Amino acid sequence: MLYAGAGLAVVAVACLWLFGPVDASSIAMALRFTVPIGFAALGGIFSEKAGIINIGLEGLLIIGAFSAVASMYALSLTPIGANVWLAFGFAIVASAVVALLFAIACIEFKADQVIAGLAVWLIALGFAPFASTIVWGQVNSPSVDGFSKWAIPGLADLPVFGDIFVMRPPVMLLIVAGPLTWYVLNRTRFGLWIEASGEDPKALDTAGVDVQLVRYVGTVLSGVYCGIGGAALALRVGQFTGGGETMVNGRGFIGLTAYLIGNYNPIGAFFASFLFGGLEVIQLSIQRTSDIGIPTRLVGVLPYVIVLVVLVFVGKTQMPSSAGDHYESDD
Amino acid sequence: MSGLRDRLAGTLDRLVDASPLERLLISVASLVFALVLGAVLIFVSGFVATCNSPVVFIPGVGYGCYNPIEVYSTMLQGAFGSPISLGQTLQETTLLLFTGLSVAVAFRAGLFNIGTQGQMVLGALATAVTVLWLGPFVPNNAIGTIVVIPAGIAAGAVVGGFWGMIPGVMKAYADAHEVITTIMLNFIATAIAFYLVNNHVGDPSSDSVLTETIPAVAQFPAAIDGSRFSFFALGAGLLVAIGITLLYTQTVIGYELRTSGIQETAAEYSGVNAERNIVTSMTLSGALGGVAGAMYVMMAQYRWQTGIPSLGFDGIAVSILAGNNPIGIIPTSLLFGTLKSGSLAINLSLGVPTELVEVIQGLIILFIAMPEFFRLIGKRSGFGSDTPATSGGEQA
Repeated sequence: MLYAGAGLAVVAVACLWLFGPVDASSIAMALRFTVPIGFAALGGIFSEKAGIINIGLEGLLIIGAFSAVASMYALSLTPIGANVWLAFGFAIVASAVVALLFAIACIEFKADQVIAGLAVWLIALGFAPFASTIVWGQVNSPSVDGFSKWAIPGLADLPVFGDIFVMRPPVMLLIVAGPLTWYVLNRTRFGLWIEASGEDPKALDTAGVDVQLVRYVGTVLSGVYCGIGGAALALRVGQFTGGGETMVNGRGFIGLTAYLIGNYNPIGAFFASFLFGGLEVIQLSIQRTSDIGIPTRLVGVLPYVIVLVVLVFVGKTQMPSSAGDHYESDD
Repeated sequence: MSGLRDRLAGTLDRLVDASPLERLLISVASLVFALVLGAVLIFVSGFVATCNSPVVFIPGVGYGCYNPIEVYSTMLQGAFGSPISLGQTLQETTLLLFTGLSVAVAFRAGLFNIGTQGQMVLGALATAVTVLWLGPFVPNNAIGTIVVIPAGIAAGAVVGGFWGMIPGVMKAYADAHEVITTIMLNFIATAIAFYLVNNHVGDPSSDSVLTETIPAVAQFPAAIDGSRFSFFALGAGLLVAIGITLLYTQTVIGYELRTSGIQETAAEYSGVNAERNIVTSMTLSGALGGVAGAMYVMMAQYRWQTGIPSLGFDGIAVSILAGNNPIGIIPTSLLFGTLKSGSLAINLSLGVPTELVEVIQGLIILFIAMPEFFRLIGKRSGFGSDTPATSGGEQA
């Protein structure tokens, strides 16, 4: 899987190179674009491995993005003033709360996970522009301050590649989150519980661990991750735009595909997300160089087409065998 | 992902085969709960919104702008208060009838078609292009209409059907999950339609992305002055709903489409080609989405124009609330037609954003997805003890 992931990264960089110079700034840009997709993918792994298929990642990203900007705006009206980190925190809490509600629906009320996840998406898709209109009088927010870039001491001064290491905090978080998620899932007791909760809940129950609790934690973690991803997206752009499919624009579903490509391995999912981040850069650079003669609007569908192609070839994934099932303890 | 498919089948089994009375109760309860939550949302958001004449003041909290009861009654008023608004409501109803049927046909075969939206967008464009091309060749009278409108519907159906067939083939032969593929295909459809209209088939004299107005012969005859609603379109929708019911209950093909969706293995033992049935169901579903687009062009907009409303997503709520029953879709599309048409009024006269309806729709889908919620409430409040009709489907 690691090889596959590394392969994907090579493919992404190769594609970048085909359509423009691969320099530090284009790689840095690809990393920035990877953030929302990557966090959605890593979060989705927690949830699905625990046995709750979370198709509502897209909705959670939307909630994260909206809440971040709304918090910035609300804070600016208080004596505290607009604080990016506070807004970031509020967005994570908001997304986690929605994920908790989704978990309650799935676990307590035995909801069909796919339909309930769909509902989470559709509710968020309606709620965010609704709330934007209530607050700002239109579906788009005014612009707010976002994260400023940090230079990693030492690395940022490197020749040629130095620019990669000047990044906004969410990008650093993602780079840490990939390996950390892998470590938690593969090297800790909690990771074993998550795995067992999705693969063999009965055995986990027999071992005295509360399966439902593990599933709650897994699903809420997906909310935390999506909160980070959505907030990072909105605070990078410095605005929430709620028209059409909102500014999230399918990134949650792309994240879902990314972890399928990565076959539930966080490192694989990270590289697959990076592939999609790279595609966004390619798309932008094609749009900028109009002489290639490809209409910009059609270039925009590239990531979605790749998702389709990937799904055809990765149709059979090693889905956790009890994911999607309700579990009821016998006692 | 065959495990997922079996499980889905189990759920669909429960949704489709729960006793009709129970299904009706769950639908009504879901609707009531969603409307109540919607009311809470309206009330709370009233304290955030700014307005000239607040309806309520709570010390320490501030002024509230919206009274939920007033909002809902304005909605009803706005949907039925005048002939024009009635026409608007029936027009929405007609379009939702088609998108709802599109979603239902897939659902009955055990498939989630989230792609009705994209199928509709491309179908609508095919219709617009076809009737614009055909217009000059036919006499400008009823005879022309009899030729052009069916041709427009056929074009929408063919293109929508093709766009639905793609995820069907991907599902049947590569096991690609149709929820994700159809959502991706929505994005792609919108981009393709935008590109074609912007660069090739659009109105060159306009700065906006739209086609020319379709010829009068291609416009459904309006039934009400000041509205574009047409009884012919509504009638066609009702006929299709009945036709699909007959297809499922009276024909072998319909039976096969249903069984292969609900019990894949059983269907295969009895010699049914499951793959082909998946493709057929998705194609039929896509064709209905395309027809919805045709109706949109020939009854509502009279042209293709970027920013087509999300009728395809609305169709999911329409179908799920009806338990995916084609006849049940008739009242649910009227219900959502009322909400959508009324949402314009609440926005205009009270300033409540129209997206309220989308939130309510999402909530309805959520509640329908968890029948257990209502059973627990039922048990706690002492109504209806254990309902035997549902205890069988639990172990998926």
